Amino acid sequence: MRATIRIGKWLFLAAALVISFFPFYWMARTSVAGHDEVFSAEFSFLPESITFEAYARAWTDGALGNAMLVGLLVTFAILALQLLTCIPAAYVLAMHRRRWTGKLFGFVLLCLLIPGQVTMIPLFIGINQFRLGDTLAALILPFATSVLGTFMIRNQMMSIPRALMEASEMDGLGPVRTMISVVVPMAKPGIAAFSVYSIFVHWNDYMWPLLAARSPEIQTPPLALAIFQDAATGFDYPALAAGAAIVTVPIIIVFLVAQRHFVRGMSGTEITG
Amino acid sequence: MTISLAPSTREEAATAPPPDLKPAAGTGATRWRRWAPVVLVSPMAILAFIFIFLPAVLTFIGSWFTIPLAGGSWSFVGLDNYREIFSNGPVQRSIVNTVIYSLATIVPSLVLGLMMALAADSLTRGKALVRTLLFLPMTANMVAMAVVFTYIFDFRGGIANTLLGMIGAAPVNWLGSTDYSLLTVALVGIWRTASFTMMIFFAGLATVPGTMHEAARMEGISGWTRLVKITLPVMKPSVVFAVVMAIIQSVQAFDTVRVMTDGGPQYSSELIQTMAWRMGFQYFDLGAASALSFLMIAALLAVGLWQRRVLAGSGDK
Repeated sequence: MRATIRIGKWLFLAAALVISFFPFYWMARTSVAGHDEVFSAEFSFLPESITFEAYARAWTDGALGNAMLVGLLVTFAILALQLLTCIPAAYVLAMHRRRWTGKLFGFVLLCLLIPGQVTMIPLFIGINQFRLGDTLAALILPFATSVLGTFMIRNQMMSIPRALMEASEMDGLGPVRTMISVVVPMAKPGIAAFSVYSIFVHWNDYMWPLLAARSPEIQTPPLALAIFQDAATGFDYPALAAGAAIVTVPIIIVFLVAQRHFVRGMSGTEITG
Repeated sequence: MTISLAPSTREEAATAPPPDLKPAAGTGATRWRRWAPVVLVSPMAILAFIFIFLPAVLTFIGSWFTIPLAGGSWSFVGLDNYREIFSNGPVQRSIVNTVIYSLATIVPSLVLGLMMALAADSLTRGKALVRTLLFLPMTANMVAMAVVFTYIFDFRGGIANTLLGMIGAAPVNWLGSTDYSLLTVALVGIWRTASFTMMIFFAGLATVPGTMHEAARMEGISGWTRLVKITLPVMKPSVVFAVVMAIIQSVQAFDTVRVMTDGGPQYSSELIQTMAWRMGFQYFDLGAASALSFLMIAALLAVGLWQRRVLAGSGDK
């Protein structure tokens, strides 16, 4: 009985690993295979020949260099604005008690339930009305704050003893100094977890840039990739896979660097100790 | 949702209620102390109001009008937009598909995520490596990955059918048939979301004290009972968070569907998100698209309120 469970667990884990990893392997394999081989009916696990010309094609035809630069700028501008707005709000919601804090938190939870995907029509009209359509600002502004970020960072801050904050205020530190030098350092895992999540989402976002960015100069990486699956020119699988690999690598690096904090901050809330 | 985390809980638990800093307006410093919280939350509150709450309200208002895309005056049409979407076959299909897609991705993602977290957590060596590999799907750019999956699920020469062929099964037209297209995009959705819930559960498991487990094991309590009676309740915040994120992920299926099937064939994998997009920005019927979008918001709010009641149990408020 015990042995069966053990074997089952190993099989499950092995299958999960293969399934998680396989598409990435396949992306790499397709990116180095020749164009003819991709369309051959014979399946082979390893490519017969290896060529890197798809990477050159992806980089130049997709203008990936520019797209990655735009993506970097947009992603980090969004992250900076979100942290600037979410951390103070989370600090107040977690550490201060006013008549309105409960209601405000309710408002945050309510907004958390409204997906950005279904509010795009008024956003699109509004952005155009303010003549911001097709600008970098249009890509950044709608995400200047995040209710998810406020929620996650607040939850992390809830585990900080209030006595600590009171002591710091006794010492004559103002609310802002208390936030920066006492509360923020202790909420680091939550802040890191949210930051990584925000980077994932906005680096990879497809829907809003598809609406908001028409000029080639402000195309984000997903828009640049979509060029290779244009029905008119036919699917260029190797270039697409190569482009996908180029675009995915920075994200994996971000995750590996922030991994330790990310995992700690991901537990939802209130890690004691 | 997560009402157990509301401020009131903690306040009751606090031993000595801190003095509410409310000095009679005096020096600049004390006035600042009084107003600082308001100033600090304002940017978030104002931006969330402008970019999240207001658009949701406007979606509702817009659903009663005919809206010209280029700007200009709206004309009131009452319930026409709702009548239009409810009598439109493809839209009905997209609503049904969205319900199926949500159920087919949220529940399996949570279960598989938990199983992966438990299996990875029980490893004595290589825990971090396994966790990193299992998390890879979440880092994927779905536009890019959807294309890899398009290839994997290709009818001829795709690896999925090659594998089926190896075990002697007939090839399946994963993306090109009305029977399988929704299932195929749901499989991709699970692939991604399960890796995310895995990470949340994994982090949650780390918050369960090992001594608690040992004690239960000593008492001879079986693994299953330990999981249900001890582990999951202790890591309840993680469970709640995983559910929230699984729902958010399932709502964000737009990229996958648009790139892999574009809702087809014959609307068989069309979801509300892709349908609303199509109506709004391909057919330029912004009013009907607003009506459909608002249905989605209303459904999510309903789920949220229900979840809040269920998960909060007999808790506070």
